[in-house]
Amino acid sequence: MTTLLVIKEQLMGFFSRFEAYIVAVLKFILSMIALLLINADLGFMQKIDNGAIVLIVSLICSFLPMNLIVLILAAFILLHLYSLSLECAVIVAIVFVLMFLLYFRFSPRDACAVILTPICYMLKIPYVVPLTLGFVGTPMSCVSVGCGTVVYYMLGYVKANADRLAKSKSSSDPESALGSFKYIIDGLLGSDKMLLFVIAFAVVVVVVYMIKSLPVDYSWKIALGLGVVVNILVILIGCSALEVELSVGGVIFGTLISALIVFVIQFFIFNVDYSRTENVQFEDDEYFYYVKAIPKMSVEAPDVNVKRMNYRDDYDDYDDEEDDDDELDYL
Amino acid sequence: MLNEDRIALMTKMAAYEASQGKRDISVSGFFRGDYISFGVLKSALCATIGFGLVIAMYILYDIEGFLTDFYKMDVAAFVKDIAVKYAVVLVIYLLISYVVYAYRYSKAKKHLKKYLSELKQLEEIYRSEG
Repeated sequence: MTTLLVIKEQLMGFFSRFEAYIVAVLKFILSMIALLLINADLGFMQKIDNGAIVLIVSLICSFLPMNLIVLILAAFILLHLYSLSLECAVIVAIVFVLMFLLYFRFSPRDACAVILTPICYMLKIPYVVPLTLGFVGTPMSCVSVGCGTVVYYMLGYVKANADRLAKSKSSSDPESALGSFKYIIDGLLGSDKMLLFVIAFAVVVVVVYMIKSLPVDYSWKIALGLGVVVNILVILIGCSALEVELSVGGVIFGTLISALIVFVIQFFIFNVDYSRTENVQFEDDEYFYYVKAIPKMSVEAPDVNVKRMNYRDDYDDYDDEEDDDDELDYL
Repeated sequence: MLNEDRIALMTKMAAYEASQGKRDISVSGFFRGDYISFGVLKSALCATIGFGLVIAMYILYDIEGFLTDFYKMDVAAFVKDIAVKYAVVLVIYLLISYVVYAYRYSKAKKHLKKYLSELKQLEEIYRSEG
């Protein structure tokens, strides 16, 4: 346990010292993964399905606010969809605007969750996001996780039906184009599975948030446990109610793995006051102050000092041996 | 002469002012009612745009049928139906907005209370320094 605490403190120290660089690198990695996944799943516009473009955009994203990164990713998706089918791009654009209207009003600080939700879906651990947001977010964070879920299922639908959607573009018949709206809206938004996950994740976020806020001992651990139970129950009940086919084992196993990941994240992140290094400027009547405040370490990393107790280079030096014995007694 | 306690307190306060304090202080510039009303008004605008988009999607969904039936339909009943749905959506959305903005206001006030107590503490340090 002490070793873990020491690792935690060392992480804190490292983060405090290099916070500006670490955040930029994390943003770069996140945007790069998201852009690569978008290109791999959609990739209809050859001009932007290009490693150099992805690299440049990711580099730019590393210095931008998270909400702007979300908008850039949305623009990438729309450009790909425009290449595939104008109707599809129009419908997805309308859905995006609706989501942004909700998201920017209620949970504009959860941009990370909007991007991470589809990525976690692809890693088969989507339950990590609502469980984590219950701890670090607010009840309104369910909007962010809902938006992420909708984006994932829309992209999945477009990927699976790309050929059929492309036909509507090649067709010059306006009636066929108008009819394709119905087909696209049904496909994009008619998924019961998507609806089920949006509801389940919203319930999990609210339940975890409410329980972890209770003034009782171990509230965080209880919240995690109950979050897991509620997640499994809501999904299983929803499955039978909406007649959605879903692997029960997959849901239970995925939720448990996600809970384990959240538990580890909780240990390293949530319980720690990652008070960042603050660079502040202020003044009084006499001075200007340029202060860099670095958070204190509360657990010291032990200095490894190997003391060889059974080694004597001089048998005659009795005094040294006595000193060693004294130190042993002291320890 | 530099007073370390005072500098530590000022640093803490400056860090708060630079981050969350910026928003909290702007919130505190409003009366509670004004802040919530302004937020709810912005939400109403968003809800109206959102509802307009949903209606656009609804029409696009079956545009052929809509155009065919347009001259046969009772436009007044159609508009009334949409108006009722809009009113229901608006009321639900505004209620949620009201709760969210009231919560944000009380939270900002709570943070500012702590900030003001630190200001008083700073004032006392200055007085003791003479």
